[in-house]
This record gives sequence, structure tokens and C-alpha cells, in this order.
Amino acid sequence: MRQTKNDAELDDFGRFSEPALLILVSLAEGPRHGYSMTEDIAAITGVRLGPGTLYGALARLEARGLIAALKSEDRRNPYQLTALGERALRARLDAMITVARTGQRRLANA
Amino acid sequence: MNWLLRLYPARWRERYGEEFAAVLASQRASPGLVLDVLGGAVDAHLHPQIQHSRSNSIEDLTGDDTMTLEMLQRCAAGGPRLSASDRRIASLLMILSALVMAVLYIGLTKIYPAAPAVQALFYASFPSLALIYGQTAYLRKRPRLTQVFVLAGGLSTMYLFMLAGCLIGAKL
Repeated sequence: MRQTKNDAELDDFGRFSEPALLILVSLAEGPRHGYSMTEDIAAITGVRLGPGTLYGALARLEARGLIAALKSEDRRNPYQLTALGERALRARLDAMITVARTGQRRLANA
Repeated sequence: MNWLLRLYPARWRERYGEEFAAVLASQRASPGLVLDVLGGAVDAHLHPQIQHSRSNSIEDLTGDDTMTLEMLQRCAAGGPRLSASDRRIASLLMILSALVMAVLYIGLTKIYPAAPAVQALFYASFPSLALIYGQTAYLRKRPRLTQVFVLAGGLSTMYLFMLAGCLIGAKL
């Protein structure tokens, strides 16, 4: 998959790469807290992320400045996409769309 | 299930503990969920993200409060900040321990299949690895006797706890 500089922001996430992408997609609709993210991701993919996986990915995204915690009274902070996170998500989705289109075109010609 | 949170580093719990507990409480208890949480705990010890966070970086702080804030952060972390060498040695010891436990478990299973004492070894091995990493890293500058006492005490307690669980499970 061809990568851009923004796309590379998600590169060193290891096994948290896919959960991190799903979190970014979930937050693209607006700020959410952890429970809301798991429900949203389950609705999109049919997979419910465990808390260990969810917060492993969340901590990485926050440490790299791709998401940010919003202040909350009950300390269950909602998270929102940062500008950097939005650019990284757009870049990764563009790359995935390119791969998907290429695959579909080749399958159609097969 | 909230007791599993104790396996995470103190600074991590301080930052994510409450929201993590809320997500944990919302999911049905299962072996897969326990493994997910244990894997997350090992990852949080091996790859602590919080100290590298751009918003929490102690290096960004200036002024008279820097020393106080650094002391608070160290207390919240449950020990001194780890050097690369500390982390490397602790990781190596954890990997070696995992291999020893795996060999021991496989060998004992062949000799004593389905014995509660052997099953307890299996269940104790996961939290024990996190314990071995944490104690090795954070107690490295303590006297050798302290290290041995704390580590052996922690591992023994962990094993006895799991053994009690297995014995109760065998009776039911």
C-alpha cells in the first residue's frame, strides 16, 4: 500500500493498528468515550473490542497526538480527533480505497 | 473483574482506570476478556505510553513547580522512571520466565494430568509474568535480598491464590 507522511502516523502500532484505525473512524463522527466507542465499533464491524485492546490503542493514539481527551466532570473522558488524527485517518482511508478499487478492477478483469 | 486493573501500572490506572473499569463492567466475563485484559496489562508495562505523551511530558515543564511535579509523577508511577537498560533486563527475565513456566507446565501436565496444582501453575503464569517484569524493573536498585523476598513472596501468593481457586473449582 502506498503511504503518505500522514498515513505513516499509524505505522508503528503493531497489533493495535487495526483497533486504532477503528477508533479514529468512530471518532470521525464526533467525541465519544470508551464505552460508546466499543458500541459504535461493534455496530460497524460486528467485533467488540476488549478493554485491554481498546485502551492499548487509545493510549498510543493519545501519546502521538492523534486524539485528545476532553475535560469531563466524571473523569470518564470523551476523546476527539485532533487535526493530525483527522489527516492520518483521511490518508489511511484514501490508501485503503486505492487498494480496494485496484483489487475490484483486477477481479472484474479476471 | 476489577481486580485485574491492579495488574496495570499505577500511572496508567490513574489516567485510564475509571473509564477502563466502566468498559470492563459493560462486557460479559469470559476467558477471552480476561486474556485481553492481561495482554493489555503486559503491554502497558512493556510499552508505557503515558510517559511519552506529548501533553504529559515532564520535559515540557518549566518553572519552580517542575521538581514538585516530577516528584508527584514519580510517586504516581509507583517507582522511578525506568532506564532502557532496566526495561531490557526486565523484558529478558520475563521472556526467560515464560519459557521456564511453559516447559515446567508441559512437563508436569504429562506426569500429573488435570492435577489442580498443575492447573494453578498455568493460571498463575500470566499475572506472574507481569509481576516478574514489574518487580525486576522497579526493584533493580534495591538490595538483592529485598528483590528476592518481594518477588518470591509475590509469586508464592499468586500461586497459592490460583491453587485455592483450582481446588475450589475441582470440588464444585
